[in-house]
Formats: sequence, structure tokens, C-alpha cells
Amino acid sequence: MHTTTDAPGAAPTRPTGRRRPLTGSLLARRLLAHGATYLVLAVAAVLTLGPFLFSVMTAFTSTRQFAQEGPLSFPAPPVLENFIGLFSSQDGFVTPVVVTVQMVAVILVGQMVFSVLAAYAFAQLRFPGRDLLFWVYIATLMVPQVVVVVPLYLMMSEVGLRNTFWALVLPFVLGSPYAIFLLRENFRGVPSELMDAMRIDGAGTLRLLWHLVVPLNRAIIVTLVLITVVTHWNNFMWPMVITSGPEWRVITVATSALQSQYNNNWTLVMAGTTLAMLPLVILMVVFQKQITRSVGDATLR
Amino acid sequence: MNSRRPLLGWLLIAPSLIGVTAFLILPVVLAFVVSLFRWDLLGTRRFIGLENYTTLLSSGALTNSLLVTGIFTLISVPVSLALGLVLATQLVRALPGSAIVRVIVVIPWVCAPLALGVVWKWIFQPSVGALNQILGVRIEWLTDTSLALPAVAFVAIWQNVGYISLFFQAGLTRIPDSIYEAARIDGAGPAQQLWFMTIPLLRPTTFFLAVTQVVASFQVFDMVYALTGGGPQRRTEVIASLIYNEAFEASRLGRASAVAVILFLLLVVITLIQQRWFSRRITYDMS
Repeated sequence: MHTTTDAPGAAPTRPTGRRRPLTGSLLARRLLAHGATYLVLAVAAVLTLGPFLFSVMTAFTSTRQFAQEGPLSFPAPPVLENFIGLFSSQDGFVTPVVVTVQMVAVILVGQMVFSVLAAYAFAQLRFPGRDLLFWVYIATLMVPQVVVVVPLYLMMSEVGLRNTFWALVLPFVLGSPYAIFLLRENFRGVPSELMDAMRIDGAGTLRLLWHLVVPLNRAIIVTLVLITVVTHWNNFMWPMVITSGPEWRVITVATSALQSQYNNNWTLVMAGTTLAMLPLVILMVVFQKQITRSVGDATLR
Repeated sequence: MNSRRPLLGWLLIAPSLIGVTAFLILPVVLAFVVSLFRWDLLGTRRFIGLENYTTLLSSGALTNSLLVTGIFTLISVPVSLALGLVLATQLVRALPGSAIVRVIVVIPWVCAPLALGVVWKWIFQPSVGALNQILGVRIEWLTDTSLALPAVAFVAIWQNVGYISLFFQAGLTRIPDSIYEAARIDGAGPAQQLWFMTIPLLRPTTFFLAVTQVVASFQVFDMVYALTGGGPQRRTEVIASLIYNEAFEASRLGRASAVAVILFLLLVVITLIQQRWFSRRITYDMS
């Protein structure tokens, strides 16, 4: 192994085989290397969590303590007055939480059902115009929300749907080109022998989808469900533009309104941001494997 | 293997086709139309041809927001890619404990940019903000005309580094260990390995990330809205903020649509250029 003849001025080219006894300098270098890694990881973790810790701490601090001791004081004692305030006031967070959950649920079900149907057709059926249509779907992936927000606002106003629940969900509920694209790629891999066997047994398209195609592609569907929930729970621009007043306010819009309304009441505002973020942080920690894997599947967002 | 069932095919596609046509294609067409009108929130409208475009070009608002978006992109994309790569190289060593860090660093990415923007607005507050308290200074992070945009870019970087590192981790685990062993035997140190091997071998991942991050940063809105709303003195008014402010603050839907059309064309051009570049790169790699 010691063929260091053509390694000019080589740093100690000791082979780093795993079973060799650690000599002093090697041990030192390993410690140093591990130390540097741990330093990077620790800095990353602290910088990432710091803002969350500050905001959660402040959410549990009484307004009085915050005014006296500033933002870095540990809540003593921790109080719930900010959260109680959020849920008891007239334009509080009860409605936004309910509206957001309803909106995400309706969009999720609609997008999944209609995307699965379309993806199956694109992947497994032949019909005139299929390839052209699929190309059009792909092209619409380039259209960002901010470009269509003004015309969509005008369309919804024109048909009298401004400030309604329908306006919140309608643009998204009929399926997403992105989901259809990902699902189609995966549905193409379903073995045709299995599908033929089920058809011979007299299964219709819906049974075929529900009992064969969907179970076989559970992984990508779970990934898409997570992406859809995160995207629409966090969506802000469209709900803010198309709704007015507290009736159909979603949680992001309520957080923003809270901040501008109670400009210096930061303990209350931090209780609001904590509520807005907590469900997704929990979701993320529970489904970390799927989310990490989604990086392989999902090539957008 | 594909079965030929035209009616069924169209039936299954119908809902999504209605959605795509009504809520993506029609609005883009409509944006072009509205941009030719003087059109306010009350519905009053008058055809004015290209006046919205000429006004935008001469008023400086469009140039300003293109510049702001450009600077924002030039800061946030390279920095978050570089930091994401560094973080990924440390995470893939899979030392005990790094699994937790891998989860932690992705948390900001699942949170609403609007809510994160509000949290950071509070952290940046001059007197009651955590940052100035820790540093023991009194800096007007978000209202100083030269600090506001870097501050906004910083928050965007903070949110994205962990997510970006996921892609680099995936890319790094695809590089076979044998290559590094060969390099070590030839006497390449860690820095040389990073520069001459890791970075070139990660080029497809880096390219993909650069493309998606540039496109995403041309659309950034929520975070800017929460942090600064576009101020001070339009120093953080990115393109999306300009569209929003023109349409829903100034009640000039026509002019907002003109900005939207320009953004759309810009994104199409960026995508086309990158696609050409991408296909060329692929053939280069395979030769």
C-alpha cells in the first residue's frame, strides 16, 4: 500500500483502513475531523432552532414580563394568557383554524382524486390528443401563482365568488398538473398482466384504481399528500387577496392581520405564529422519512 | 399494453382539464388582455394600449423591482447553495447524532414563509428584538435602506439551507467511495477532494438546484410581505410585491397585469435558456 513514489510532498499517506490500530497522530486527526463536523452540525442546529425557541418562549411569556424583561427572558412562570387571548377574542383564531382545516381537506381530497384519475388516463389509456394535452399540462407547470393572481381575482369577482369558501378551493381542487405529472411517471410502472387479470375478473376502472394502482403506488401518493398539505396550509397570497374580513380568514392571513393589528403586542403575535407553524412541524417530524425521500421523487417546489 | 378507450380517457381527464384551462391557461391569457387596460378594483376599465408598459418603463418602479429581485437572487441562491453543500458534506458522514440534525434543519422549509417572516420581523425589531439584544446593539435591520434587502435575503437563506442540503446529501451518497479511496491513495487532501472531485461530480444536482432556486426567488412574496412589505423606499420591492402593491394597494390592476406579463415572459425565457443549457450539458457529460 505504501506506494507514495508519485505523491509529491504527500501529507501522511497512511492507509486509513478501518481495522488498523489508531496511532497517536491518526487519533488526533480523527478527533479533529469529527470535532469540525460536530461544530458545523451544532451551529446549524442552533441557528435553525433559535428563532423557533425565541418565538415559542415569548408565546408563553406574560405581556407584563415581556415588557419588563425583554425578549430573552425565560417565561417565569409560563402562562397561557396569549393563547387564551387568541381563542377568546372576537376575530380570534378559532375561525381561521377551522377554515384552514376545511380548505386543506377539500383541496387535498379533490386534488388527489382528480389527479389520480387523470394520471391513470395519461399513463394507461390511449385516446386522441393525449400527448398534446399532457404537453400542455407540463407547460402550465411554468405558470407561477403571482402571475395569475390578478386575473383570477377578476374572474372570481365576476361570478360573485369573492370572499367565499369556493373561491379558496376552486382554483386548486380540480387536480394539479404537478401531481398528475409525478403520478403518471409512477403509474406507467404498474404491470399490465395484473391489470388484465383484474379486468378479466370483471373489475371496472374505479375498482382497478382503488384496489391495484393506488395501493401499488402508496409511497408516491403519501409524498404528494404531504406536499399538498404543506403547500396549502402555508398558502397566503391567494387567500389574502380573495377573502376580506374574518369570515373566511385562513391561518396565515390571520397571523398577518394579527401582526398589523396588534403591532407591539409581540407575545400575542408569537402565540399566533406558533399555532400557524406547530401542526406542520409535528407533521414533518412524524413523516420525516417520507419527506426526506420526497426529495428523490419530487423535483419541484 | 395501453388500452384504447377514447371516451373513458377523456372522461377521466375532464375535471383536471377544466381546472387547468379555467385556472391556469385562461388567467394567463387574461393577464395579457388586462395589461392593455386602465382597470381599477371597482371594475372601471378603459382600453389604453401599451400605456401601462411605457409608464412602467419610464417610472422606474419596474426597473427597481427587477434590480431588487436580481440582487436578492444573486445573494440568496449562491449562499444557500454553498452553505447547503457544506452542511450536506458533514451530514453524510452519518456520525452519531447527525440523524436528529438532519430533521432539525429541514423544519423551516415546512413552515409558512409568512409566519417565519413575522417571527423574523420580531427578531429584527430595533428595541425589543432578540437579535439586537444578543448583539448588544441597536441596528434598524429592516428600515435601513442598505440593510433591509440583505436582511430579507438572510431569512430566505435561513429557510432554504436545510432543504437544499437534502438534495446535496442525495447527490453525495451516489458518489462511490472507491473514487475517494483512489484520490486518497494519490495523496489528495480533503480540500482537493472537495474542489476537484465532489463539486464537479455534484454538478447535475447543483444545476437542478440553481435552476429551481432562481425560478423560486423570482416569485418570492410572502416573506417579503411579512418582513418589509417592500419598503423602505421600495428597497425590498421584489417583482411579486410590485404586482401586489400595484393591484391591491394602488388599485391599478392593468399596470399590475403588465408587470405579471413581464415576469411570466422572463420566467419562460429563463426556463428555455436553462433547458437548452441543460441538454447541452448532458451530451457533454456523456461524451
